Amino acid sequence: MTDSASSVRPSTSSTRSTSSTSSTTSTTSTTSAEDVMAGWFDARIVTGAHPASLLPPTDRDAIAAHLDRYALSGALVSAMASWLHHPIGGNAEASAVAHSLADRGVLACWTAIPATAGELESLTALVDRALDQGVAAFRIHPLSHGFSPGLLNELYAALETNRLPLCIDAAEISWADLSTIATRHPELPIVVSNVGYRKLRELWAALDGHANVFVDLVDFAAHQGVEWLAANNLADRLLFATGLGLRDPGEGVVRLAWSGLDDATVQLVGSGNASRLFGSGNASRPSGSENADRTSGSENADRTSGVRRADGGRS
Amino acid sequence: MIGRRAEYRVIDVHAHLGPYSLFYIPESDAAAMVAVMDRTGTEVTVLSANRAIQQDAHLGNSQSLAAVDAHPDRIAAYAVINPWQDPERELERLAADERFVGIKVHPTLHRYPVTGARYAAVWEFAESTGCPVLSHSEHRSPYDAPAMFETVAETYPGSSVVLGHAGITPAGVDEAIEAASRYASLWLEVCGSQMTGPLIRSMVDQLGSGRVLFGSDFPFIDQRMSLGRVVYAPLTESQRQDVLSGNARKLFRWRPLPGESGERGVDDTDE
Repeated sequence: MTDSASSVRPSTSSTRSTSSTSSTTSTTSTTSAEDVMAGWFDARIVTGAHPASLLPPTDRDAIAAHLDRYALSGALVSAMASWLHHPIGGNAEASAVAHSLADRGVLACWTAIPATAGELESLTALVDRALDQGVAAFRIHPLSHGFSPGLLNELYAALETNRLPLCIDAAEISWADLSTIATRHPELPIVVSNVGYRKLRELWAALDGHANVFVDLVDFAAHQGVEWLAANNLADRLLFATGLGLRDPGEGVVRLAWSGLDDATVQLVGSGNASRLFGSGNASRPSGSENADRTSGSENADRTSGVRRADGGRS
Repeated sequence: MIGRRAEYRVIDVHAHLGPYSLFYIPESDAAAMVAVMDRTGTEVTVLSANRAIQQDAHLGNSQSLAAVDAHPDRIAAYAVINPWQDPERELERLAADERFVGIKVHPTLHRYPVTGARYAAVWEFAESTGCPVLSHSEHRSPYDAPAMFETVAETYPGSSVVLGHAGITPAGVDEAIEAASRYASLWLEVCGSQMTGPLIRSMVDQLGSGRVLFGSDFPFIDQRMSLGRVVYAPLTESQRQDVLSGNARKLFRWRPLPGESGERGVDDTDE
């Protein structure tokens, strides 16, 4: 994969154009078709069994096979157990997969809940622990876990300070609450997932109003929705993701591969945007405790500057 | 990993056209749909206009015909029959206009059970002519749950009925498979937000590959999302091609789809 954060062009509200879609795949990239299709980063995988779906398995080996099958450069993995069983305890399952597949570019995404006596002492401490373990992002499930998003203000501040993205399913939060978080924490990247095909009006308001809001391809099912974003100069807010564990991964793969985007924009969506947000793209990164090094020094600085560069022009 | 160009011949038997009040659809016009079809290897799409299913069957059916006129080699039309909006008139129109190749009914949207008397003329027409009928089907719906189609098949064994979405949910798919296993006149179509490759495999395993049809529901759901489930489904290549286009060529015999003469033009299925 030849794409990198350095090739990402910042978008600005005032300079939106229609240049990112092309029926003739006009592009300034000199990469081959194989290069365009290889090295995508899957921004959402959920490891663990789903209790009510007929889906492919998502254990460590299945995720490795998934990376092979679609020639992926890595993935962001959270735990089904964190969503559907034990929010904090499940994080260990995400980290176990990430550490096991660190050489394949797999990163962990932890789940947070409000600090509650007996369950979680401190959100700041949770984020510190996550940083120590090389976690690349956090996910919250306010609806499923029965709390108001306002109870996580400490989390948002800690994530913003450390430039760790916040991931959330569209069904887990109201668009008004999402807007409130994005407004109060303008340097916090927020990735919305599972938008479906009926929410473009709300999505537009969120993307247009907040430079720090992103959307991934998991069930981003609106007809020509990808091309619509690109035509409005928002391709740098879209991340390739399959939702393995929740969705059929073929959806996102074919959606992007056969999209109307030019090759350079496909690479941007496939991996470039994730590189900026998650610091992905270093598949040879050491695993385990050595990952703690990511949170300081040049790599973290690169990720931070990448996010700032992408957002800066639109703020 | 696939390339950027489509690798299969596709016929999409479940599509719509135009805007919809509940949500915004970018580029919902026929020309944009054909441009997507060019990218996905879709030879023909059979559609019903959103206006026809949502508000006015007669006017919406006219929109569908206009799309056929604009793209006669790529688009074919269902006539939407709304049981509350003079169904006999639309059936007469369907019979007289060869641009229509099938019937579309949407019992859930029209809040009338698929087994109700107001649909009788549809099934009688389908049985007497061979005109295929695509119906919305939805698990636990009081109007079109998959099991209700067994009554239709029992009463009108000569009508070919496609269960759109195959019941939608995983449990609905199981129910749809059960119904189609009992009645050879029932076909299953695979679009829907909860559909997966393994569910499609389940249909093929239990019915054979000969009565499972590709549909996408575009421009509601992007065609590529629906197509990805089939392209990567755990099927043999022969089964996959049956689902993607071969079976549609078999089904639409009353008025053959563009691109064929009406004879069966595909390899034998695994059925």
